[in-house]
Amino acid sequence: MSKSSALQNSLVLAPLIGATQSWMTALGVWLMVIVVASAYGFAMAPLRPRLIPRAHLIASLVLAVTLTSCAETMAQAWSLQWHQHAGIYAGLIALQCVVLDHTGFFQQAWRDRLFLGGLFGALMLGLSVLREMLDYSGLHLAALVPGGFILLGLLIAAWQAWSRPAPKH
Amino acid sequence: MNRVSSVVIVALLAGLGVGATYLVQQGSASRIAEQQRENDSRHFLDLLPANSYDNHPLEHTLPLAVATLGDSTLQGGFLATRSGQPSAVLLRSQAVGYVGSIDLLIAIDVNGKLLGVKTLRQSETPGLGARIADWPNAWLTIFVGKSMNDPDDKRWALKKDQGQFDQVAGATITSRAVLNAIHDALRYFDEHRQQLLGENLHE
Repeated sequence: MSKSSALQNSLVLAPLIGATQSWMTALGVWLMVIVVASAYGFAMAPLRPRLIPRAHLIASLVLAVTLTSCAETMAQAWSLQWHQHAGIYAGLIALQCVVLDHTGFFQQAWRDRLFLGGLFGALMLGLSVLREMLDYSGLHLAALVPGGFILLGLLIAAWQAWSRPAPKH
Repeated sequence: MNRVSSVVIVALLAGLGVGATYLVQQGSASRIAEQQRENDSRHFLDLLPANSYDNHPLEHTLPLAVATLGDSTLQGGFLATRSGQPSAVLLRSQAVGYVGSIDLLIAIDVNGKLLGVKTLRQSETPGLGARIADWPNAWLTIFVGKSMNDPDDKRWALKKDQGQFDQVAGATITSRAVLNAIHDALRYFDEHRQQLLGENLHE
């Protein structure tokens, strides 16, 4: 794992744990990430070759913050209650856009970007459905943030145990 | 790619960004405020029986001055009406608990009987006094139907103070503060009934 992809992945951790208490929150945050990141990618594409490197970060920040705050305001108008649960994670999208741009995400082939976006959505929805089911069946720890961490840890451990090739001796 | 075009682009972006954010904010402010009102009324008014009012009580503020009542402070009030007739008064009261202040919403019907009490804000000990914030709340329902003189003054107290009311286990000071605030509010209602319902009574 390279340094930049580690940064990218650790930024995903906050919404992955914080915004997966219910599938509604998870779906909403994911949709917002997709919409804002796409708009950011479209707007940034024609600007990128016209900016000197030092102005690039400022332009990227201004654009990401504008798009995120517009999306946040619209989400509030759509459902204030949803926003009260997910707003703080939706606010992080601006940071994610800047970091994604910094790591060259928007210059990748559209197929790779689509795959990553889909993977993020599948993870968010999968984890939220799992947590809701566990909570519903009586394991209320799953609905709390520490429970989310434990569950994600168990899932990663299971994934690694399953996908690692058997050691050859 | 040069310095000037970069500066122009950043300045344009900033201007557009401020403009767009402002427009979106203006466009959705009224809808957000409306939802805030709906959320508030859902949160505030579920202590009134569903069919007991047909106005928007939170928009019908009573002209009360902040007043100190015994051990609590009256912070405001709302009037619920049904077909133009007053059906309940909601009083916002602040009591001093064990840890900090406790904000209560106290609903009283036109005959001075308690309809319900709800804790709006508190910072009591988690697991003990903080249980007054649970909703629905079994302990707070023991006061429903009581009025200023029923029971009489001496019995309007916790059992520990030779009264008739149970307390929240392990939270005597919190319980006493809430009980006194409710009694204060009922007394205030009885003393100011005309003023609270007055001009609305014979419409």
